Amino acid sequence: MRYGDFTTYDLLLLAQGLGVTVGLFLVTSLIGLVIGVLWGVVRFYRIPLLTPLITFIAELLKNSPVLVQLFLVFFGFPAFFHLNVTPVQAAIVTLSANTAAFIYVIAVSAIESVGREQIDAARAFGLSRWQVLRHVIAPQAAAFSIGPLTALLVNQLQVTSLISVIGVMDLAKIGATLNLRTLKPFIVWAVVGLLYYLTAKLIAAAGARYETRLRRFSEFRGL
Amino acid sequence: MRLDLTILAPYLGFLGQGAALTAVICLLSLAGAVVLGMLVAIARTSQTVWIRRLAFIYVDVFRNIPFIVQLFFFYYGLPEIGIYIDAITTGVIALSIAGGAYASDAIRSGILAIDNGILEAAEVSGLSKRVTFTRIVLPIALRTSVRPLGSVLINMILTSSILSTITVNELTGQAKIVASDTFRPFEVYAVLLVVYAALTWLVSIGISRLHKRLNRDLASEAA
Repeated sequence: MRYGDFTTYDLLLLAQGLGVTVGLFLVTSLIGLVIGVLWGVVRFYRIPLLTPLITFIAELLKNSPVLVQLFLVFFGFPAFFHLNVTPVQAAIVTLSANTAAFIYVIAVSAIESVGREQIDAARAFGLSRWQVLRHVIAPQAAAFSIGPLTALLVNQLQVTSLISVIGVMDLAKIGATLNLRTLKPFIVWAVVGLLYYLTAKLIAAAGARYETRLRRFSEFRGL
Repeated sequence: MRLDLTILAPYLGFLGQGAALTAVICLLSLAGAVVLGMLVAIARTSQTVWIRRLAFIYVDVFRNIPFIVQLFFFYYGLPEIGIYIDAITTGVIALSIAGGAYASDAIRSGILAIDNGILEAAEVSGLSKRVTFTRIVLPIALRTSVRPLGSVLINMILTSSILSTITVNELTGQAKIVASDTFRPFEVYAVLLVVYAALTWLVSIGISRLHKRLNRDLASEAA
């Protein structure tokens, strides 16, 4: 007997896959955000050697396929460094690094979006470089970067689907499993696609909402 | 623990074949994406509401669903409805459709950026709507959108690595074979990462040159 039909348990599987996808997406976005912003700060302080190194790594991560990065971490690292890397670990490392590279670019342009004269004025008032960054640049840069950040996160959600190739049981992998069992590709992949679509829309809506909230403070309110 | 790149020497020709297939796939898909993107851009700037809405839905759907899900949808789905085509063709079709969504945005913004005065001049000269569009609007729009179309191409090169999951032996697919042949995944994927980065870097330089050349008479406005 072949279980070729859809069962109610499949819904649970899909929910589980969505959970893994969203969970890994949130974790790697958060790690990527922290690392990317740190890199941006390093660049702001113009630390010699470290700044060109970071720029180089970010360029390399941005201009190579995520799939190859995943293979390097999942197949290459264990062979070369004699480590044990589970699929989930490989996924977290790769996606975090990849997200960090893109966030670094956003962070750099956000910091540069703050006018030079503001920094000069703040320095003239005797603020230290850190105080300038913390109280003058950071609030404005945050408001500036929400738009590009949302677009990036929507994109990174789709990138997470690649981790199914190395065996993480995310939404795409659940789709592949269901597809193999039921042999109904149109229904399975349409449902999986819809779930990704809705999640992406949710992220975009959350970003837009947050942006209007942040922008409200930067608007000119009159004297 | 020793990095030994010489083990790759016997496989250079083999990897070259993969790179050639990647190039062919990307060029075919780029052509497909530009044609599709042009049609969709026309639809999105149309004056009929439902055509505009339909085109928007296409762009929205294909930009918000992971490429791997789209690819599996076509790869497993098409045989289901009696269309038997090989993996490479499926890959090119999927890349063209996904790329078309991005290309349409680039071309659309090129169309919207056209000065109204040019359109009025064409109207006054007695040119029909169709002639205005094919002889005036499209050439200008395509020319100004060379750079954004270039980033569509670069994205396509990176995305084409995903075709290795449906048995297409392009660059990443060949590298997978080499990695399992030599048991040196680290060397293989590290080199592959750098090769992809170098490839996209070269392409981006070429695009900048082309953009400058095509827009040399508008240097002052287009910069």
